[in-house]
Amino acid sequence: MPASCEQAITLTGDLHARPAGALAVAAATFASAVSLTVGATRADAKSVLGVMGLGATSGQRVTVAADGSDAEEAVATIVAILAEATRVGA
Amino acid sequence: MSPDATVGIVLVSHSAPLAEGAAELAAQISGGTVTIIPAGGTDDGGLGTSAAKVQRAVKLADSGAGVVIIPDLGSAVLTVRALLAEAGDLPASVELADAPFVEGVVAATVAAAAGGDITAVLAAAEEARHARKL
Repeated sequence: MPASCEQAITLTGDLHARPAGALAVAAATFASAVSLTVGATRADAKSVLGVMGLGATSGQRVTVAADGSDAEEAVATIVAILAEATRVGA
Repeated sequence: MSPDATVGIVLVSHSAPLAEGAAELAAQISGGTVTIIPAGGTDDGGLGTSAAKVQRAVKLADSGAGVVIIPDLGSAVLTVRALLAEAGDLPASVELADAPFVEGVVAATVAAAAGGDITAVLAAAEEARHARKL
């Protein structure tokens, strides 16, 4: 059953290359299309270069959106990775 | 292809440290689950490319799901093309990517880590050309 889901998170650290990789690997395991939006810039969460190209930094609000059969689970997973990976000192 | 096999990556550079460094970076970003074999420099350690090194690297990188080769510049491309044209002692599924070196290996390795097949990994490498940094 197709569904849409969206959740925003404020980063507590910069989105570096390694978490971007972990995020893209995780996003690719879902059937849903998953995107990240920061300000006016939107990236495919399954594209590591797209995620890095967002240049998302501490304090910025990132909206995670998914569209597809596993949208809810995809958004929860990606938000959790963003929260963990950008935690100060991570 | 065995169900758990992951596409392997070979980096062909004129410089051994460049190939090794790019492999190290891509391994870190993708979580270290993909086989990335650097094939940089000539057989005697100088700047240049070596068909023998590339051939060994391709065999090492293959775990049954195929291998994507990413060259840096010029004669790295020619060396790989000549090797593939011989079609001798190589795995059945080997693709040469037309991709930027660093972005290409990072994108390809993440696609392989996510379980992508050789077509998906090759596409990820080649789409890296369009990625903006800013």
